[in-house]
Amino acid sequence: MTGLLTTSVGSFPKPEYLQRARTKASKGELSEEGLRALEEKATAEWIHFQEEIGIDIPVDGEQYRGDMATYFAENIDGTEISGLVRSYGNRYYKKPIIVDELRRKGPISVDWFKFAQARTKRPVKGMITGPYTMMDWSFDEFYGSREEACLAFAKLLHEEALSLEAAGAKIVQVDEPALSTRFDELPLLVKAVGTVTKGLRAKTILHTCYGSYDEIFEFFNKLPVDQLDLEMSNSGLDLLDRFKREPLKKEIAFGVVDVHSHVVEPESLIRERIEKALTIFEPEKLYIDPDCGLKTRSVEEAQAKLRNMVAAARAVREAHRLT
Amino acid sequence: MVRTTVVGNYPRIGDTFDEQSLRRAIARFDKGEISAAELGDAEREVVKAVLREQNDGGINLVTDGQISWYDSQSHIARRLASVEINGLARYFDTNTYYRQPVVHGAIAWKEPILVDEWKFAQANSKAAVKAVLTGPLTLASLALDKHYRKKKPLAVDLANALGEEVSGLVRAGAAHIQIDEPILTRHPEDLPLAVEGLERIRARKGAAALTLFTYFGEVSKIFEELIETPVDAIGLDLVQGAATWSAIAKHGSEKPLVLGLVDARNTKKEDPAEVAKKVLGLKDRINLKASFLSPSNGLEFLPRERAREKLRILSAAARKVGVAA
Repeated sequence: MTGLLTTSVGSFPKPEYLQRARTKASKGELSEEGLRALEEKATAEWIHFQEEIGIDIPVDGEQYRGDMATYFAENIDGTEISGLVRSYGNRYYKKPIIVDELRRKGPISVDWFKFAQARTKRPVKGMITGPYTMMDWSFDEFYGSREEACLAFAKLLHEEALSLEAAGAKIVQVDEPALSTRFDELPLLVKAVGTVTKGLRAKTILHTCYGSYDEIFEFFNKLPVDQLDLEMSNSGLDLLDRFKREPLKKEIAFGVVDVHSHVVEPESLIRERIEKALTIFEPEKLYIDPDCGLKTRSVEEAQAKLRNMVAAARAVREAHRLT
Repeated sequence: MVRTTVVGNYPRIGDTFDEQSLRRAIARFDKGEISAAELGDAEREVVKAVLREQNDGGINLVTDGQISWYDSQSHIARRLASVEINGLARYFDTNTYYRQPVVHGAIAWKEPILVDEWKFAQANSKAAVKAVLTGPLTLASLALDKHYRKKKPLAVDLANALGEEVSGLVRAGAAHIQIDEPILTRHPEDLPLAVEGLERIRARKGAAALTLFTYFGEVSKIFEELIETPVDAIGLDLVQGAATWSAIAKHGSEKPLVLGLVDARNTKKEDPAEVAKKVLGLKDRINLKASFLSPSNGLEFLPRERAREKLRILSAAARKVGVAA
């Protein structure tokens, strides 16, 4: 029996040379091509690293993105980018502003998918920032209705999903970190994500994080995707009992390392977490990954966490005679 | 005819180099390059700028923008006895986060929290500065309670502590006190608990005017009870809480209202004439002269230049109300 395939949620930290280059580019001291070359270098390095440690399903690492919503908005007609808005503490970000009807100018993330896939035989995930999150994280000066704006994003993100599939993506992940923002809008999220994934042959994944899962639990089986990717270690693995009572009818990617902590979890701790997950889920439906994108960690921390994760998954596979 | 005010927080940085002084100062403080006193100086410079922007924008009753607040919960809770500050939690339905207070013993006031901040702001503002405090019910609801295990005794002790703080603010000269209870838009059934807290605070407010503000949603189901609460004015979010509008139109209010009609969570610019028209629609239902026009909630969710724009929209709308009346 196969099982416990390893993967990542999406983002990896940018190496220092790329961070410096982005600062320079923002001041106009580095050309677009100059920046692109360094983004490609960093992406290639991350693909190489994932191959080297033996991650089964790699990601491109999102070295070309600033913010996940803004990156998509910059490549969509009908949007502008706002001034800085505070997230918390001393962290600020720019938000999309919807100023006209939303339309896809052309492929958004497909080039980066191709670039990454050309460097590995393993299946690279195609990554889409979900329609609900795009809507919730944007200012809206055009639609005047959260539902309309959300479904307009969904329509064009469906085109993007089809483009990723046409470019060879066997797996398409829709990121919805805003999923748990307003419980009364969960039916809208289901409708919008369903619009994105409709008719895809690729395996579909929905990733979310930082939620109070209690209130959204009953929606898990309604989400129109093949796999759920959930933050589990940061929420203290509390959810497992609930899954025991109310089984998930989908695959699950199970977060086993905390992306907000500098502490590199030892392999033994990660192994315990995987063993716990195995008491609830079938190994072939259980994927192992970090809680969320690792971009806020240092390159060294992220790599150490991933190494231990892969080693732990391998050890558990051997113990259970999985291939 | 109708005066203008803001709700509380204001963007602490803008998009020009000069407007980002506080962001740089915090980064330097985090690296140990400047002292806490120097960081305080940087904060106070921004407070002055924020007051100037409100004064220039023609706002009648202003705030210090809560520039030195890390967030709406921990800034107050961290100075109370038996509270520690924990990790980040999502703040209502916004894409912002607050540090969650953890209550591990009996809550008590131990030192002034906002008094120096208020004094500094008033000394630097032509317009009156109102002191804004997060309400006891909202603080109790968003904290992690490891001691009381029940919301009511926690909220009551928080109200007593906040009453002490209000007393200090009033002695320092504050004539306007605002208590924010956004949680009422999520848990209207907790209104009796909010009232208990307000009674305790009211007992300490002296001659100051006390306002209760709710935002991030509507309160139509409790509107009639809300306007009977022991405060001098009620602030309402009429954007995200647009459904409250019909309750005002139906029941009216003897008590002055703060009409949060300008959207503080969206960059779209309102037409001041449209805003004025809506306000004038209430002229037979409420005492406009004693009421205020405001943003729907704090302006911090907007980019700084758009926050300034919203201030101008408020003033322009208020002028149009005055002319029409």
